[in-house]
Amino acid sequence: MDVDDLENIQSSHSYNLTCPGESLTSSQSFMRGHGTYVDNEEVVASVAGTIQRVNKLISVKAIRSRYSPEVGDLVVGRITEVQPRRWKVDANSRQDAVLMLSSVNLPGGVQRRKLESDELQMRGFFEEGDLLVAEVQAFFADGAMSLHTRSLRYGKLRNGQLVVVPPILVRRLKSHFISLPCNVDLILGLNGYIWVSKHVKEIDQEGEQGFDAEAVYSNINDEIDIPTRSAISRVTSIIHILRAHFIPLTDTLLLETYEWTIEHENHTTDLLQQDFGEAMVAYISSTG
Amino acid sequence: MASRIEILNEGGFRSDGRRQFELRTIEIDLAQQGQADGSAVIAHGLTHVLVSVFGPREARMRSHTMHDRANINVEISLAAFSTGDRRKRSRGDKRILEFASTIKSTFEPVIQTTLYPRSQIDIFVQVVQQDGGLLQACINGTTLALITAGIAMLDFVCAISGGVHSTSPLLDLTNLEENDVPNMTVAVMPKTQKVSLLTMDTRLHVERFEEIFRLAVEAGSTILVEMKAAVLGRSSRLIESVDSSTQPHGLGVENDNS
Amino acid sequence: MRPPSPSIPEKEFLFSSLKESLRLDGRTMLEMRTPSLTFGSDLGWVECALGKTKVLAQVEAKMVKPQPERPFEGTISIHSEISPMASSDYEPGRPSEDEVTITRMLDKVIRRSDAVDKESLCILAGQRVWHIRLTLHFLTDAGNLLDCACLAGIVALKHFRRPEVEVIGDDVIVHLPSERAPMPLAIHHTPFCFTFAFFPDASTPPVLDPSHLEQRLSAGVVSISLNAQKEICVLQKLGGVPLGADDILRLVDVSVTKAKEMHSFVEASLMEDWNGRNIEVR
Repeated sequence: MDVDDLENIQSSHSYNLTCPGESLTSSQSFMRGHGTYVDNEEVVASVAGTIQRVNKLISVKAIRSRYSPEVGDLVVGRITEVQPRRWKVDANSRQDAVLMLSSVNLPGGVQRRKLESDELQMRGFFEEGDLLVAEVQAFFADGAMSLHTRSLRYGKLRNGQLVVVPPILVRRLKSHFISLPCNVDLILGLNGYIWVSKHVKEIDQEGEQGFDAEAVYSNINDEIDIPTRSAISRVTSIIHILRAHFIPLTDTLLLETYEWTIEHENHTTDLLQQDFGEAMVAYISSTG
Repeated sequence: MASRIEILNEGGFRSDGRRQFELRTIEIDLAQQGQADGSAVIAHGLTHVLVSVFGPREARMRSHTMHDRANINVEISLAAFSTGDRRKRSRGDKRILEFASTIKSTFEPVIQTTLYPRSQIDIFVQVVQQDGGLLQACINGTTLALITAGIAMLDFVCAISGGVHSTSPLLDLTNLEENDVPNMTVAVMPKTQKVSLLTMDTRLHVERFEEIFRLAVEAGSTILVEMKAAVLGRSSRLIESVDSSTQPHGLGVENDNS
Repeated sequence: MRPPSPSIPEKEFLFSSLKESLRLDGRTMLEMRTPSLTFGSDLGWVECALGKTKVLAQVEAKMVKPQPERPFEGTISIHSEISPMASSDYEPGRPSEDEVTITRMLDKVIRRSDAVDKESLCILAGQRVWHIRLTLHFLTDAGNLLDCACLAGIVALKHFRRPEVEVIGDDVIVHLPSERAPMPLAIHHTPFCFTFAFFPDASTPPVLDPSHLEQRLSAGVVSISLNAQKEICVLQKLGGVPLGADDILRLVDVSVTKAKEMHSFVEASLMEDWNGRNIEVR
């Protein structure tokens, strides 16, 4: 193969794909965005992925990479370390995220000052290994993200299991809290961590009212009945299949596939068969 | 150590039937391996290497974090069954340590480490089978794994081995040839044609050196074509399957267990 | 712990002067510090200094049983460990990356390039061979430890004389140096090592024989080992800043001339030392 063949490869794709080291355009008429660098007055790609152009800004989005956070994103994370006045949280990003003691709801409700006693019992709220759902609040100077759980919807996670997918497969949705009719709740973290759990009744109150520290920081699972358990594992298996086929997750898609599997399967374990998964994916692509 | 096997016969063929400048078949598999952020399996003929990249992620040891750039950590393990004589090498083996530090310093200026401050990028290289050109396979595999992990790099790094049999230069040596002829490994960054790595451990006259060195630099672009095709193929497969759920057409599969 | 890196002004000063082809110690870019060789009273005891960098090399020989797979060949072993004595950058215990590079390079330059004829070290096939043990002590590190160590090692091997032996039947008789003149080792060729340092800015020319600060701030080194016969023994550029093919070939040319100079220098020093010794043969 020589250079000519290479050009054929590229032109045969309808997508705008590029590789590191490929020059995209001149830097005099365009600005460089993420995934590019400037060398010899040329904008050059530094990752493999799709070229995106917004007016004069050229950037390359990698197909698969770690999660790059944005303020306001909903993420699911796991506590890795308890430090003075802060927790370190693994959120599938370049560095561990930080959850400050001042950005969590504390027992006693209402906005109150953090006391030394709170600092001493931080492990009582979150311990190493605990899973939580939070929102990206801000960034530190070095690019690490700071999280907060100052909402009743955020906090420690119980009653379910974690599924990890590449972050690109979680698209921004109107709501990342999804309730499936099968008594299963889903939290689609934008960092690719997905929490599948038993449905709990909605908390409607806003702000600090109705905040029950006992329940929020509890480490004990509720009673989960057998049908719910199998529903949870069915949803998990569906996500695994979609991940293997690199299909982005949306609420409608999950709902449709769930209904389809109910119709076609004999048992939950059918979802572990490769051909069943392929049939499911074929169904998805046929309905679009 | 005179070998009875002819390295290059009168007809211009090598012991495995290749011509002087012919490369071995390159097979590349970029499917995801386990939990790794990026992975690649590359085979140059019978030399097989598996590379997994984790990161950029929080450094496991605080002392390894650098405030202005990412730390790169390379670990290599050679499978005991990868060579003819079954031998287990300890992790402290000087040759392996040198190998790891070579890979690390080759990729340090290529990865845009300043984009990932306080992070760590772990590169794990598992050598499954060796038949000459080990360093070349490790470097090419690492390049591909880093690209699949979406880590920003200035360019590909393409490595190739070369040697000289009396006066005729050869490219992409097998184990047999490596033991018999002076050989070198060259890694090139194709965009600028600059050499980022060059090692030669065997005696060779200066004049002979220049010829094979220039050839090897040129051969780098052939390797690039293969690597690029693999990367673009994977990219388009994945993009297609992402799109297939919104607009029904072709279906790509990235299988976890392939 | 990593040693603290040089401060930014130090760095800037070095880079800006190098850009104007000026080095902090007044050398030109491709000038080596003049090596000095001090020979001890024992044969095979050499102290080599490149400026303030000092390495002591010592050669011993003893008789051992050969390896079963190589019954006609003697063995050479190189012992080098950088202690914190050389510089506070080095720690005892786990070898650092620099140390691995130096040890491996010494092994390649001196042992793997077949500088010493191993077959001539055979006394009685399969029974007795010479085992040559080269020990390197790194005394001070003021940059470019590698070149200094290679020079010390190879000169020590050339300087060394082993006792004459005589084989009668299956008996081996070792003659004391006072009885018969000791024998020099059979040396095939004399490789010398030259290290060039490169800097992050591509317009800065490379420097030969980097000082400690230059080495710390360099963005990559190229080590070329070759002999006076224009044969490259080892060439290694392990990563670092990428270079053009022509740049590398130019460095090879520079080293070719340097190797010739070095060869005559070493021969002259050895000759001078040898003439200064009075060997008594009775």
